[in-house]
Amino acid sequence: MIKLTNVCKSFGPLEVLKNVSLTVAPGEVVVVIGPSGSGKSTLLRTINGLETIQGGAVTVNGISVHASQANLHQARQLTGMVFQQFNLFNHKNVLDNITMGPIHVQNKTRAEAEATAMALLKKVGLPEKAQSYPSRLSGGQQQRVAIARALAMHPQVMLFDEPTSALDPEMIAEVLEVMKGLARDGMTMVVVTHEMGFAREVANRVVFMADGAIVEEAPPQAFFANPQNERTKQFLSRILNH
Amino acid sequence: MYQLDFGVLREYLPAILDGLYMTIQISILSIILGSIMGVAGALCRTSKSFLLRSIGNVYVEWIRNTPLLIQILFIYFGLGVFFSLSPLAASVLALSFFSGAYITEIIRAGIQSIHRGQLEAALSIGMTDWQAMRLIILPQAIKRILPPLAGQFITLVKDSSLVSVIAVTDLTYVAKNIVTITFRAFEVWLAIAAFYFILSFGLSLVVRKLEKRLAESD
Repeated sequence: MIKLTNVCKSFGPLEVLKNVSLTVAPGEVVVVIGPSGSGKSTLLRTINGLETIQGGAVTVNGISVHASQANLHQARQLTGMVFQQFNLFNHKNVLDNITMGPIHVQNKTRAEAEATAMALLKKVGLPEKAQSYPSRLSGGQQQRVAIARALAMHPQVMLFDEPTSALDPEMIAEVLEVMKGLARDGMTMVVVTHEMGFAREVANRVVFMADGAIVEEAPPQAFFANPQNERTKQFLSRILNH
Repeated sequence: MYQLDFGVLREYLPAILDGLYMTIQISILSIILGSIMGVAGALCRTSKSFLLRSIGNVYVEWIRNTPLLIQILFIYFGLGVFFSLSPLAASVLALSFFSGAYITEIIRAGIQSIHRGQLEAALSIGMTDWQAMRLIILPQAIKRILPPLAGQFITLVKDSSLVSVIAVTDLTYVAKNIVTITFRAFEVWLAIAAFYFILSFGLSLVVRKLEKRLAESD
């Protein structure tokens, strides 16, 4: 479904991704963890071309994302993205936020798009908020709308960039619940997160990144019980023992 | 001792109203054309293309660092050497270019004030750069820049008085003529100032109302 081959990326002299390769199978849930600055968000953002790359290749469903503008456009419609800061369109109400993509990008009729949007709002538990503006919603609600907005494009892959990092603790659960539901439904997901509970419970595979490289990857049981690499052990001991 | 006599205004009211109509006409045309130039200028200045950015920069700096009066004289008399423009066309052109440069800067600042996440979210659902700009960035930017934009429009209405130098029969030109004939300088200029005040203040009231309507999503 997703294939990164020797992806290299630098900001000026700073190498943030060093020859990173990663394959994600259809229906797989991959959780990417690592210290801040390890390149995990950047890695995620190369998958839908929000970051350019200097070397290597990224394919989504066989489409080489960075090869051309047309490919990029096509790949973005296959991938839904959820941001740390939600990034809902502030000037549009919830319903319009969700229907804009289907209407303007996929040329759906308004009626069709709204029907889909309402079904998705029900799925994320917010049907009564259809007419509200983002500024009237809590962070957790905004993030659930953002998930609905991404799902409205019927993506084959969902990318989550620290979806709960900007949320108050009591709102994290409601967002994670929606994400778990998606995983149960068989959605292919790549999730950058610090939620180790989520990784343990939902992930098929945990990928640990440090200094722009993938240091270790393993199924969650093995990963947490028996980490192989020194960096991984260090990281886990720091975040699990406090 | 000078005796005030506002009766003269009544006598010349039709002429004054003609001038007022001309001022309104010039202002509206220049606001529309200037806004279009401003959007185009702002798109140039925020463009990825070095050439477009340079064109935008030269335009803005050239206009902002030369007097409007000179720009009006240049467009009417200077360009008039090569092709003749009517005084009205020259005025609208000069005022549009002039306000367009300032509007460029206002809109550019507005565009750049919109959080980058808005653009990224738009791109992530498959919008093109242009769709993201048109549907997501500009509508939010416009809302934010309405107050400085209104200020610029009001400046334009007032600056339009300068076009009287190229014999456009606007409010100011008409006033000068009436003063020449009647020597009622105090009454006439006071009345003309009042007309400009009504135009400008009315405009700011309209914008304030618009602002309130757009604040719905805050």
